Amino acid sequence: MAWYHRIRNVLQPDRLRRDLERELSFHLRERTEELRAGGLSAAEAARVARLQFGHYAGHVERARDMDISRRLETVVQNLRHAVRGLRRTPGFTLTVLLTLALGIGANSAVFSAIDAVLLRPLPFPEADRLVQLSQVRVKVPQPFVAPVRLEEWNRLTGTFQGITGHYTEDVSELSGELPEKLTRAWVAPRFLSVWGIAPALGRDFTPQEGRFGGPTAVIISDRLWRRRFGASPDAIGKRLRVGQSSFSIVGVMPAAFLFPQRDVDLWSPSAPDAPYAQSRESTWFTAIGRVKWGVTIAQARADLARVQAALGHQFPKTDADIRAAVEPLKEVTVGGLRRSLWILFASVSLLLLVACTNIAALLLSRGAAREHEISVRLSLGASRASVAAQLLTEVLVLALAGAALGLLVAAGASGVFRSLAGTLPRIEEIGLDWRLVAYSLACAVAATLASGLFPALRATRRNLAGSLAHAGRTQVAGRQQAHFLLVGVQVALAVTLLAGGGLLLRSFQQLGRVSPGFAPEHVLTFHVSMSWGETMDLKAANQRIARTLDGLRSLPGIEAAATAFTLPGVPTQYQMEVGTAEGRAESEPKMFAENRWVTPGYFATLRIPVLAGDTCRDEPNTTMVMVNRSFVNRYFAGSTSIGRRLVLAANPAQRPGEITGIVGDAREMGLDREPVPTVYWCDGSLQPGTFFLVRTRNEPTSMVETIRRRIYQLEPRRSVYDLVPLAGHISEAYAQNRLRTILLVFFALTAVSLACVGLYGTLSYLVTLRRREVGLRLALGALRTQVVRRFLMQGLRVSAAGCAAGIALAAICTRFLAGMLFGVSPSDPMTLATVVAAVLAVSALASLVPAVRAARVEPMEVLREE
Amino acid sequence: MGNKNDVLQGTLVLLILKTLAAIGRMHGYAITAHIHEVSSQLLRVEEGSLYPALHRMEQEGWVRAEWGTTEKNREARFYSITARGRKQLLEEEERWARLTQGVARVIRYA
Repeated sequence: MAWYHRIRNVLQPDRLRRDLERELSFHLRERTEELRAGGLSAAEAARVARLQFGHYAGHVERARDMDISRRLETVVQNLRHAVRGLRRTPGFTLTVLLTLALGIGANSAVFSAIDAVLLRPLPFPEADRLVQLSQVRVKVPQPFVAPVRLEEWNRLTGTFQGITGHYTEDVSELSGELPEKLTRAWVAPRFLSVWGIAPALGRDFTPQEGRFGGPTAVIISDRLWRRRFGASPDAIGKRLRVGQSSFSIVGVMPAAFLFPQRDVDLWSPSAPDAPYAQSRESTWFTAIGRVKWGVTIAQARADLARVQAALGHQFPKTDADIRAAVEPLKEVTVGGLRRSLWILFASVSLLLLVACTNIAALLLSRGAAREHEISVRLSLGASRASVAAQLLTEVLVLALAGAALGLLVAAGASGVFRSLAGTLPRIEEIGLDWRLVAYSLACAVAATLASGLFPALRATRRNLAGSLAHAGRTQVAGRQQAHFLLVGVQVALAVTLLAGGGLLLRSFQQLGRVSPGFAPEHVLTFHVSMSWGETMDLKAANQRIARTLDGLRSLPGIEAAATAFTLPGVPTQYQMEVGTAEGRAESEPKMFAENRWVTPGYFATLRIPVLAGDTCRDEPNTTMVMVNRSFVNRYFAGSTSIGRRLVLAANPAQRPGEITGIVGDAREMGLDREPVPTVYWCDGSLQPGTFFLVRTRNEPTSMVETIRRRIYQLEPRRSVYDLVPLAGHISEAYAQNRLRTILLVFFALTAVSLACVGLYGTLSYLVTLRRREVGLRLALGALRTQVVRRFLMQGLRVSAAGCAAGIALAAICTRFLAGMLFGVSPSDPMTLATVVAAVLAVSALASLVPAVRAARVEPMEVLREE
Repeated sequence: MGNKNDVLQGTLVLLILKTLAAIGRMHGYAITAHIHEVSSQLLRVEEGSLYPALHRMEQEGWVRAEWGTTEKNREARFYSITARGRKQLLEEEERWARLTQGVARVIRYA
C-alpha cells in the first residue's frame, strides 16, 4: 500500500473499513456457500464458517493496522483529544490563546519591520550592487558630486556598470488651475539603467533629450499620473509647464519607485553639456552607481580612488584634495534604524518569554489536575514520551491558533508603524508575506516547547504508587516551588523591560525640559517654490525675498518673519572651518563652527537674545555676520569679536562677513546636543529648500490661509507648501526616538500585566489548595488578618526575589540603550527604584485579592467537608 | 491450537507466496482453499489470519492487489506476486530448508 494511500486511510477511516468489510465478507460468503453445498443448513454453515475464520474483528483490526500510517494516526488522535480537552476548559483556553496571540503577534510585527527594512534588499533588481558615491573634501562637508566629475567617474572606471546622479528641487507646475507644488528630480544620464527599472508606460529619455538645448522631456510618477490624468494612456505626449518652459511627458514611472525621495513626481534629464554644469566646483548631484557583476564593493572603491587620484593630478587646483567615498545604498538608507529595530526585537522576545512562562505556570496547574488520568495511562503501559507528546499537542494547538490570531495583530502593526513613524526609511515596504507566516509558525513551535516541555515532563514523572493512592487533594510542597519560580522569572523579565522603557521615557522627559535657547512655539515654517536657475542672480533673488518678508510682516497677526536654510532644533550639520579675513597665526587652533544662513529677522522671529552689539542691518545682500556666545568663548575669549571679519576657509574668495553682534546659544543642532559655536551669515544664501519662518501672535496654523493669500498677491506664480509649525518639525526629528519609546513602554506594561496575572493566578490556586489548612487554622484560633498577611507575604517575597533578579538583569541589558538616552545614565538609580516600587505595589495588589479570599473561608464549612 | 498455529503463522508468508507464484492471480479465499487442498488437508490455517498477512505483504511490496470479479460475478480482491515477492520467496524457502534440516538433525540425535 503506497504511503499516500496510508495517509489517506488515516484521514478517511470509513473508506478503509468498507473495503476491508467487502474483502473479508466475500471470504465468509464463499466459505458459507461451500459448507451449504456440503449439506449443512444455512445457519449451521454460517456458524461453522465464522468459526473457521477465527476472530473476525481481530483480523479486521490487524489488517487495518497494516494499511494505515501509524504515526499519522497517533498525531491525528492527539489532535482530536487536544481539541476536545481544550473545549472543556474554555477559560484556560481563552486566556492562553490571547496571551499567545499578543506575544507571537507583537514578535511577528517587529520581525516584519526588521525583515522589510533591514533584511530584504532594496526593491530593485540586484539591489546589493547599488552604491552611493560621494566626494569628500576636508573643508567642505557636503557630499554632492559635480556633473563633470560624475561623467568622468562613469567614463574612466572599469568596475561600475554605470554611475548616475540626481538632485531635487520643488517647483510650481502651472498647467492646472492653481500653481501646484511638485518635487522634481533632475537626473544624470543612465538614470533608469543604473537603478534597473523601466518606465511602466512610455519610454526612457532619448540621447537628444539628454543634451542641452534638446527637446524637453519629463517622466511623471504613478501618483501624478493617476491624480492628474486619471491613469489614462494618452497622458504620454501631454505637456506640463514649469516656470518659463514646458515639458513633454514621455513616460510614467512604476508605482513602487519612490526613490530618490518619496515625494518626487517629475524626473527630467540634466544635460551634462550644459554651460552651467561645466565648472568642477559646482556640485549638486547625489551619485548612485551600479557595480558590475562579480566585482566587490572593495574593488569598486579602490578603482574609484585610483580614478580620482588621476583626476587630482590632472586638475590639481580643484581635485587634488577630493576623495571619493563608496557606500552600499542600503546601508545609507537604513543604517540609522538598525539599533532601534534590534532593541525592539529583543524587547518583544522578552515579552514572549514572559508570556510563555505564564502559560507554563498555567499548564503546571492543569497537569496537576489531570494527574490521576495520566497515572492510569502510564500504568496501563503508555510510554512517557507518548503521554508527554499528547500534552504537548494541546499546547501546540493553542500556539498555532495563537499564531494565526497573532498574524492579524501583525498585519495591523504595519499601520501602527506608519502612523507612529511614517517618515522613516522603507516603512512603506512593511507588510504581510510568507516569510512572516513562516516566522510566526516558528514562534509558535518555540513557544510550545518553552511553555509546555517542563510541565509535560513534570506531569508524566514516574511516581505511580503515590499518585494513584492519593485522593488527589493533599499537596507536595515541591510543586509550589516550581510555580513560584516561574512567577519570579516573569517578574524579573518584566522589571527589565520596564527599566528600559522607563529610561527611554525619562530621556524624553529630560529632552522636553531642556531650554532650547530659542522659542519654538508660535512659529510657522513653510516653503515657497523656486528653481535652481534663479540662484544665478542672487542679488535679484534676495531683493525678491526681502519684499516677500516685508509683505509678510505687514500682516496683522504676524510679529516677525525671516528665512533660514535650516531649521533650529532639527539636527542638520553644516560644520565648516571658519577663518578671519586677516588670517590667523599658525599656532592658533583652527576655528570650526556650525554655519547657518539666515536673514536678519531670524533672531527676532525665534527670540534668540542679542547679547552684545547689534543685529545685522536688514538690507538684502548684506555681508554681516552674527556669532553666538560659544563661538566667542571658544575662539575670541578675552578679545573683542565685534568688528572682526570672517570667511569660510573653503571659499576664501567670497567677501568677508563682518561680525556685528553676539547672540545667545541656541540648540540649533537638536535639543539633545550641547550648543556648539555657530556663525550666522546674514545674507540668507537663497536656494530651493530654504525655509520661511514667521512668528504668529496666535496659533500658527490659524495664519495659513492668510499667508497663502499674501504670497499669492506678491508672487502669483509661486506655490506655498509644507506649512508646518516649527514644533512639529522638531518633534518629527525625534520620530524614531518616539517610536522606540512608545513601543518599549507598551511591551513593558504588557509584561508587567502578564506577571501580575501570573502572580494572581498562582496565589489563587494556592489558596484553593490550602482551604482545609486555612479552615483548620481559623478554627484553632488564628486571626483573619494573620491569614491575609501570610499569603500577602508569600506573594511579596516572590515578587521581591523577582525584582532583585530583574535589577541585575536590567543592569546588564540597559547598557545596550546607552547611545539612545539623554540626561539619564543606563543605571539611573531613581528610575530603577521607581520601577521596583511600582512592580512591588502592583504585585501587592495582585496578592491581596486571593489573600482576602483566603481569609473569607468559613472554618465550619471546610471542616464539615472532611 | 496455540502451538500449531504459531508455526503456521510464521510460515504463512511462505505458503502464500508459493501459492501465488505457482497459480498466479487469486483472491484470499482461493488461496486458503488451495493451501488446504494441496497439503491434503494437513494444514488448516485460521482463515482470518490470512488477511493481515496479505495486507502486510502488500505493504512490503511482495504482492500486488486489485479489485476484480469472480466467475460467479462477485467482487473480490485479487492478489498477484511481484518481482520483489519472488525474491522474498526464495529467501523464505531457504530459511524453511535450514529450519527443517536443523530440526531434523536434532531429532535424529536420539
